[in-house]
Amino acid sequence: MHSFSYRANAVVTFAVTILAVMCGMASLSDNFNSPSPTADVKVLNINWFQKQPNGNDEVSLTLNISADLSSLFTWNTKQVFVFVAAEYGTPQNALNQVSLWDGIIQSKEHAKFWIHTTNKYRFTDQARCSMPLFASGNNLRGKDFNLTLHWHIMPKTGKMFADKIVMTGYSLPEEYR
Amino acid sequence: MDWQGQKRAEILMQIMLVVSAVAAFGVGYTIGSFRTMMLAYAGGVVLTTLITVPNWPFFNRHPLKWLDPSEAERHPKPQVNSAAASSKKKAVKHK
Repeated sequence: MHSFSYRANAVVTFAVTILAVMCGMASLSDNFNSPSPTADVKVLNINWFQKQPNGNDEVSLTLNISADLSSLFTWNTKQVFVFVAAEYGTPQNALNQVSLWDGIIQSKEHAKFWIHTTNKYRFTDQARCSMPLFASGNNLRGKDFNLTLHWHIMPKTGKMFADKIVMTGYSLPEEYR
Repeated sequence: MDWQGQKRAEILMQIMLVVSAVAAFGVGYTIGSFRTMMLAYAGGVVLTTLITVPNWPFFNRHPLKWLDPSEAERHPKPQVNSAAASSKKKAVKHK
């Protein structure tokens, strides 16, 4: 600790190292939080269901999404990214996931919400062109699908947690309308 | 600063930083405010800097005793042997 600049350097270095340790501990404290979120998505209406010119099936839905994600927030949470995805299986692919809606929740007060909306992103099933004779985007007719509410808890420092709630029992009509 | 003062300054700095970190984390965690933790810690760091970095008088309580000038004259510094040094240089060149 010979000179002013030596001591100043020592203080700064040690302070920053301790800061890193504090942030690590803050992130670890998130593990003590046991969240209990609830969610419910209702399909209020199938607005239309068509085959597009490029061969894909596309459907437009009106959804009512209500959720209580306030137990996900801790002192170390910056924001929660939440999205609703439709999941279904086809003969070509066991799992298809299409994101229908997403949002960012920035505080615990906004985490208990209710939104009535059409799907923000297009719900389409894409035709694969590798075997032109079999190119069928006909997969959505009469299809049963799950709607899953996923969330990513984005921290101020440290580890990000992600989880989901799966809701089953939705299906699309047999014929185009 | 003298030697004792330097040691005191170092120990004081380490203890103050750790204590302010622990206190800041405790308060922040209990209140549930990350911002409070950061502000409290920043305050602690500034306080530590103000106390340990500048050359305060209380760090100079055991000053070093330098020799008086009259004492130093009686014990002159040894002279460097310049003749021996130059002959060494000549030997290296001939190699």
